Amino acid sequence: MSRLLTALFGIVLLGIAGFILLSAPRTVNAAAYSGLAGDAAKGELVFWAAGCASCHAAADATGADELVLAGGQQFPSAFGTFVAPNISPDPMQGIGGWTLVEFANAVTQGVGKDGEHLYPALPYNAYNKMVPQDVADLKAFMDGLPASAEPSKPHQVGFPFNIRRSLGVWKLMFEKTDWVIAGDLTPEQTRGRYIAEAMAHCGECHTPRNALGGLQRAAWLSGAPNPDRKGRTPNITPAKLTWSKADVVEYLTSGFTPEFDSVGGHMAHVVENMARLPESDRQAVAAYLQLVPAVE
Amino acid sequence: MKKRLIAFTTMAALTAFGVYAQDAEDPFADAVETRHGLMLQMASDLGTLGGMAKGEVAYDKAAATKAAANVAAIASVISMAQFPAGSENGKSADSYALADIWAKPDDFMAKITDLNNAAAMMQTAAATDANAIKASMAQLGGACSACHKAYRQPES
Ligand code: HEC
Ligand code: HEC
Ligand code: HEC
Repeated sequence: MSRLLTALFGIVLLGIAGFILLSAPRTVNAAAYSGLAGDAAKGELVFWAAGCASCHAAADATGADELVLAGGQQFPSAFGTFVAPNISPDPMQGIGGWTLVEFANAVTQGVGKDGEHLYPALPYNAYNKMVPQDVADLKAFMDGLPASAEPSKPHQVGFPFNIRRSLGVWKLMFEKTDWVIAGDLTPEQTRGRYIAEAMAHCGECHTPRNALGGLQRAAWLSGAPNPDRKGRTPNITPAKLTWSKADVVEYLTSGFTPEFDSVGGHMAHVVENMARLPESDRQAVAAYLQLVPAVE
Repeated sequence: MKKRLIAFTTMAALTAFGVYAQDAEDPFADAVETRHGLMLQMASDLGTLGGMAKGEVAYDKAAATKAAANVAAIASVISMAQFPAGSENGKSADSYALADIWAKPDDFMAKITDLNNAAAMMQTAAATDANAIKASMAQLGGACSACHKAYRQPES
C-alpha cells in the first residue's frame, strides 16, 4: 500500500513538473509509412504473433469469434481497470476509416486518433519496435475482419491516472525503442527477438515492473506478480527455465510442458497464437530465450 | 510427481468402485485427489507420446498405441463425478478448479467431449508414425489447455 502511495505521490509530482513541456504526444514519422501497401495474408501472421485478438476479442472467444474485435475484456492493474476498446472495422464504434498513419500512431506510439495518449495496457512499448511494413500488413488484414457495432466501454481508472496527458511523462521515462537483448545475433535469434520483444510482448507479463508500472529491463523475463494479483507469471530466464529448445517449441505448439502438464491462464492465449506461426518462428523464439541473461 | 502417481493407482482403484470416503474437514478431498490422479496419469502417458513427437525417443508403435489408449480411457472417465459443486480453489484444499465449472456446466462438459475427440484422433495417429503423433499433439494439447484456460487457476 505504501508503495502505491509513494508511486501516486511520485506520479503527481512528476506530472506537475513535467506536464507542460514533456507530455505532448509524439507520433510516428509519417514519411516511413507513405506509399506502403499492406499484404493481408502476411498481416494475418503479424496479427497472431502480436496477440491483438487475445485482448480485443471476447475473453472466451473461439474459432471465428476470435476475429470479432469488439473489445470489452477487462484488465485489472494497480492503476485501475482498463477495458479493451472496439477495434473492429466498424466506422462508428471501431477503427474503420483510420488511415495507416493513425493506426500506426495508436499501435506503435500509443497515440489515439485525436492525438491523446493511450494507456500502456495496449503494449505499444513492444509494438514500437515493429517495422512499418508489418504494421501496414497488419492493418490490411484487420481491415477485412468483421465489423461490430458494439460501443467501447469506459476504463475504470481514478485520479490522477485518468488524466491521459500525464502519460506523456510515463512514456518519456519508460518507453524504450531499443532491444533488450543486444549484441551479435544469428538470423534465427534475431527473428526470435523480433517476435518476442516487438510482437508477442513476452516481457509485458514475464518482466517485473517498478512502482510506476515501468518494466525493469535489468530483470527481463524473470517473472512478475500477475496483474490481477492472483499468483505469479513464471521466471523464464535460463536460471529457472531449464527446458531444452525442443521442450520450448513443444510448449509453444501444443501447450505441453516437459511434464506434459498443459498450459493455463493467460499463457494459453499466447500458445494458441504461437501455434499459428510457422514452426521456424517457434524455434526462433526458443533460441532467443536461451540468450536471455539468467536472473534468479 | 512419481509419488502422486503411486497415490493415484490407489485412488484409481477406489474410483473404479465408486468409493468416495467422506473426510470430515474437507468433504471434497477425495474427489480433488482423484481428478488430480486422472490428470497426472494422462500427463504421464502423454510423456511417452511426446518423447516420440519431439524425436527424443524412436517411434515404437506398441508403446505409442498403448499410451494413446490410456489417454482415451482416462478421458472417457472424466466427468462431473470428480468435480462436485463447491470443490473449487479456495474452498477445498489443493483444488485449483474454478467455480465457473458449475456456472457453465454445459461448456465444461463440451470441453470433456472435445478431449475425448482429440484422444480418439491421437489413437489413430499413434498407430501411424511419429509425424502423425506430432501433428496430433497440438490438437490434444489444445483440448487440455482450452479447459485449463477457462476452469483452472494457474498454480504459480
Ligand atoms: C494486453 C492487451 C492488449 C493487446 C495485446 C492489444 N491491445 Fe489494443 N488496446 C488495449 C487497451 C486496454 C486499449 C485502450 C487504451 C486506451 O484507451 O488508452 C487499446 C487500444 C487500442 C487502439 C486504440 C483504439 C481507439 O479507439 O483509440 C488500437 C487501434 C488498438 N488497441 C489496436 C491493437 C492492435 C492492432 C493490437 C495488436 C497488434 C493490439 N491493439 C493489442 C489492449 C490491448
Ligand atoms: C498475457 C501474459 C503473458 C504473455 C504475453 C506471455 N506469457 Fe508466458 N506465461 C504467462 C503465464 C501466466 C504463465 C504460466 C502459465 C501456467 O501456469 O500454465 C506463462 C508461462 C510461460 C512458460 C512456462 C514457464 C514454466 O516454467 O512453466 C514459458 C516458457 C513462457 N510462458 C514463455 C513465453 C514467451 C516466449 C512469451 C512471448 C512469446 C510469453 N511467454 C508471453 C503469461 C504470459
Ligand atoms: C474438461 C476440463 C479439463 C480437460 C479437458 C483437461 N483438464 Fe487437466 N485439469 C482440469 C482442472 C479443472 C484442473 C484443476 C483440478 C484441481 O486442482 O482440482 C486440472 C488439473 C490438471 C493437472 C494438475 C493436477 C495436479 O496434481 O494438480 C494436470 C497435470 C492436468 N490437468 C493435465 C491435463 C492434461 C494433460 C489434459 C489433456 C490430455 C487435461 N488436463 C485436460 C480440467 C481439465
